[in-house]
Amino acid sequence: MRKTSSSCSRVPWAIAALGLVVLAAPCGPLPLLAVDGVIRGHVELPHAQMTMDARPNAAAMGAPAVRPSELRPAVVYLSTAPRGAFEPDESLRATMNQENQTFVPHVLAIAVGTTVDFPNADLVFHNVFSLSRTKSFDLGRYARGSSKAVRFDRPGVVQVFCDIHSHMSAYILVFAHRYFAVTDEAGRYAIPRVPPGVYALAVWHEGSVRQTRQITVPDAGGFVDADFVVR
Amino acid sequence: MRLSPAGRVLRVGLAATVICVAWSRPASAQFWPSHPLAYFEGKLLLAGEVSATCGGSDPGWFTYTSYDTSAVRRIRGDVTVEVRPLPQLAVLAELRAETGGGIQPYAAYLRITPFRDRAIDVQVGRIPPVFGSYARRAYPQDNPLIGDPLMYQYLTTLRSDAIPATADDVLRQRARGWLVRYPIGNTQADNGLPVIAVSRYASGVEARAGSSSVEVAVAVTSGTPTEPRPADGSGVQVAGHVAWRPSPVVTLGASASHGTFIESSVRTARPGLPAGHDAQDAVGADGEVSWGRWLVRGEFISSAWELPPVSAPIIGGSLSSRAGYLEAKIRLRPGIYAAARADRLWFSQLSGSSGANTWDADVTRVEAGAGWTFHRGFLLKASVMAHWRDGGRITREQLGALQIVAWF
Repeated sequence: MRKTSSSCSRVPWAIAALGLVVLAAPCGPLPLLAVDGVIRGHVELPHAQMTMDARPNAAAMGAPAVRPSELRPAVVYLSTAPRGAFEPDESLRATMNQENQTFVPHVLAIAVGTTVDFPNADLVFHNVFSLSRTKSFDLGRYARGSSKAVRFDRPGVVQVFCDIHSHMSAYILVFAHRYFAVTDEAGRYAIPRVPPGVYALAVWHEGSVRQTRQITVPDAGGFVDADFVVR
Repeated sequence: MRLSPAGRVLRVGLAATVICVAWSRPASAQFWPSHPLAYFEGKLLLAGEVSATCGGSDPGWFTYTSYDTSAVRRIRGDVTVEVRPLPQLAVLAELRAETGGGIQPYAAYLRITPFRDRAIDVQVGRIPPVFGSYARRAYPQDNPLIGDPLMYQYLTTLRSDAIPATADDVLRQRARGWLVRYPIGNTQADNGLPVIAVSRYASGVEARAGSSSVEVAVAVTSGTPTEPRPADGSGVQVAGHVAWRPSPVVTLGASASHGTFIESSVRTARPGLPAGHDAQDAVGADGEVSWGRWLVRGEFISSAWELPPVSAPIIGGSLSSRAGYLEAKIRLRPGIYAAARADRLWFSQLSGSSGANTWDADVTRVEAGAGWTFHRGFLLKASVMAHWRDGGRITREQLGALQIVAWF
């Protein structure tokens, strides 16, 4: 029988509801000769390529600037993760650019403890902020070539906006473990180095968890395929 | 409870908005959309804003936008629709319902963007004004405070459908912009007009061309900045605005306008009035400086209205006014800001039979407040205003106001 660490269940219920924390299953000691597996697959999204439309503004003197289409990927992650997943790495760093009045990438998945840089590559000011409970911040206005950083210390979903350009938005998903992956342009993903065990695998897209399924990584490791169709 | 027509419209509009919002959002997502609603692959966009404002009593009529509507006591709903059948073509319409008025098509125009990679547009229909800068951000979610700048809201004693016969007629109305009566034209008492009206858009054509640092817009429309939509449809206005952004920190703008202010119905009512003497000329300068958590904006406008000389003591020359405001906003914490605005409206001197005085009473307003975005798309504002006026029954007044704004 597997042991369950009491610390594994000490998480705020609201964060647990987001399915982004380690719930300690399996939480017991790993077999000495276990071989890690790779969970991989494809997520079919209803609209993989979308650009958020600028808010219609009848008071504007002209049309808003045309922006390139942006990738709106999904995030696949273990909502139950293996023991030993709580290993915060203080040196983790990620970047969310501001280009053509768009956050790039639109979805950023990071581990707890990661510091995210928000450089501005546009000729105009941006004012990055979030009112999310996981992390609220307001970076103020800054110009092209400047960058500000935010460290994310709690797991959860952080929705990011620009106070000047209401059509700019992005998501940062903060995980308490490293078992997550963002789909690429073709919708593919791969979560490497997953110890053998039974897990709940979840797909998140544009603000909500769309699907969850149970998946088993065999003791022999290897590739485990899991495809999703999100409607 | 018996609802006014505007109230019924608002209730229906709100219900329709809620249905649209509920229909377009999955139950697991946020209860209020953070972006406009998009249908048919983005060819149809829908955005909305609802605001409710309650404030203290205003016996001095400092905050009124018409005889029976105060800017600090009203409910307002806007729905903006954009239809883009082609990349180069868009149809925009904004419907507005507010206390004291029924539902009205605030804006409705065709926007042609011939070049996809260049900021060149032509807009035809009931279009936004090009004069000044505040008129294009006179929405509760864009206004850091609750009151509008005096030049865009305060009711002067001018009317486009009625004119005074003598200078004494003008001076008798000082500080009574909320209910003005003149002997020529429409002789019924009605509210006067602000220096620049933001509650009505003019009909006409506007062309805009811009680059990353300069933007030029020119428009030919009906009316003038003071009365963009004269009741009889008379008058033609030419207006322009140039904006220069030497850096992302600074934006400087200049405006000019010339148009026929006096409605043709006035001449019909009093044949024999001297030709001409019916124009409004206005020039303005605006600026914006922003950095870090600060945003500072200012605007200055000088306007002159010509009135036909009728009887002695005649109105020599034109009536003019100068107006300016400076506002600042600082973001204190995520979702919380503080703001303040200092505002002044001056009027030129006019000689009557009892001596000279300003043709309307100079007004000063100082407003300070704060805003709290407690959820994306929901803004709660509170402010206090102090007014001083160099004439009228009430010369000093303070009041407080609260406003809640929801938008998507």
